[in-house]
Amino acid sequence: MRILAVASNTFKETIRNRILVNILLFAVFLILLSLVVGEWSMGHQVKVIKDFGLSAMSLFGLLIAVFIGIRLMVQEMEQRTIYLILSKPIRRWEFVLGKYLGLAATLAVNVALMAAALWAVGLIQEGRVDLSLIPAILLIYLEILLIVAFALLFSTITSPTLAAVFTLCVYVIGHTTAFIREFITVHPDKGAHWLLRIIYLVMPNLENLNLKAAAVEHAALPPHAAAFGGLYGLGYIAFVLTLTVLIFENKDLK
Amino acid sequence: MTDSVIFTEDLTKIYQGELGQKPTVGVEGLHLDVRPGEVFAFLGPNGAGKTSTLKLLTRLLMPTRGRALIFGEPVSDNRTMRRVGFVPEQPNLYGYLTAAEMLDFIAKIFGLPASVRKKRISDTLDRVGLAASGGLAVRTFSRGMMQRLGMAQALINDPDLLILDEPMSALDPIGRKDFRDLILDLKNRGKTLFFSSHILSDAELVADRCGILNRGRLVQTGILGDLLESQTGSIEIAFIPAGGRPSAEDLARFSFSEQGGNRVVRVTRPEDVTAVVAAVQAHGGRLVSVSPQRKSLEDVFMAEIGR
Repeated sequence: MRILAVASNTFKETIRNRILVNILLFAVFLILLSLVVGEWSMGHQVKVIKDFGLSAMSLFGLLIAVFIGIRLMVQEMEQRTIYLILSKPIRRWEFVLGKYLGLAATLAVNVALMAAALWAVGLIQEGRVDLSLIPAILLIYLEILLIVAFALLFSTITSPTLAAVFTLCVYVIGHTTAFIREFITVHPDKGAHWLLRIIYLVMPNLENLNLKAAAVEHAALPPHAAAFGGLYGLGYIAFVLTLTVLIFENKDLK
Repeated sequence: MTDSVIFTEDLTKIYQGELGQKPTVGVEGLHLDVRPGEVFAFLGPNGAGKTSTLKLLTRLLMPTRGRALIFGEPVSDNRTMRRVGFVPEQPNLYGYLTAAEMLDFIAKIFGLPASVRKKRISDTLDRVGLAASGGLAVRTFSRGMMQRLGMAQALINDPDLLILDEPMSALDPIGRKDFRDLILDLKNRGKTLFFSSHILSDAELVADRCGILNRGRLVQTGILGDLLESQTGSIEIAFIPAGGRPSAEDLARFSFSEQGGNRVVRVTRPEDVTAVVAAVQAHGGRLVSVSPQRKSLEDVFMAEIGR
């Protein structure tokens, strides 16, 4: 009940956030704009629209994750509302999990709205709703949730600006781990080899959560690719949240 | 200790400095024993360690060493906190919620069932003078209203112990009077109150016992009446001279002042009281009053912190 109470309160807080509403409206506008972009694409309208739409979902999801995810904990500390809550009979892990789940619910609403916009465009263009996009959309949602978990972790240990920079770094590195691995393989004796290896091992491989291209192309995916991506994402989220809780458990709220 | 509501032993908080900075003492070696039903005022100048202590008691800070028990259990025990209400200094509440929603959220954290919550919220708002403001967004509240709502959230679980950090600092005189009445009402209902304050006159009006903290250390603790009694300084004798003033030989060693038409002399020894009274009567004067001068809590406070 306590986790649910915090989650529900966080949902109320974030769903009314003006930044979030603005980003969401802009994302929906861009997805609708893909109708125009599709017109210029010489016979690949449907693919371009889907590709554009899914990329917009991913990018704006990232923006929401960074802006709202970092504010989530920082605002509690800056406004000292956290003093009221954590002096009550609630465990710190319950608070962290409640905050996270509340934002996850808000993000679910956002992703659902963006997906609805994409399907509406698809309906206009194709005359049907392409449900084969669902696995790709779910994994985009999971990727956003993973980025939020990192935002939460960084915002408990450093300043909001640095937390935003670190979170964006995770996103960028997470999408380039394949290159890092290739670099390590091709140049095993370079000076920063050990550092790259650590980055490769620690950072999530966000490409595991990227089915956008396959979904747009209707390409055959390796069996269970979506399920693997899902489990990978959930496992990583659990790991990052556990780390956040361990740090937050002993944090002094000065 | 077993009967203590709050018990601390060698409670210490040292803040580790940022890079290149020295550690600073929040509170050091604090021994406290607050008894059931007491109103305990925790006094000290800014930076003395009052808020650090309150945060240690409410688990917002982790102690460097020592221990803190509430109702005989470690403060880390979640069950202990079910019986505690806490109001931080100048509480900030969620601006996007209404006052009633705010209290409902806190009541849910305490696990109060829906059937209890509605009435409890309405009763609590009424109690702190916000009965008509339950539906208003918290962001529209004045500082005084915020303080009252802060108190309401601390009362929502009907706690046995209330910990208040500077509860009267943001209130106007009427608000402070209401607050003092509320504290005394809670005391009459058997609750224990532990509050920090720098408004000594308010503390003097409501507290049974007080502790004075300076530079992180408890420098004085005791029953308020005893502390003030032990600080009794002088005895003031007021009289109206008639038909002639007491002779210079009788009272030459005392100094007089005029107050509202009376002549006033202050003495420190009981035998001097007898001498002055006898001299006044011998010369036909009229004795108005003989009153021991109790020091105020402020006098005690200033003496203890060495000002």
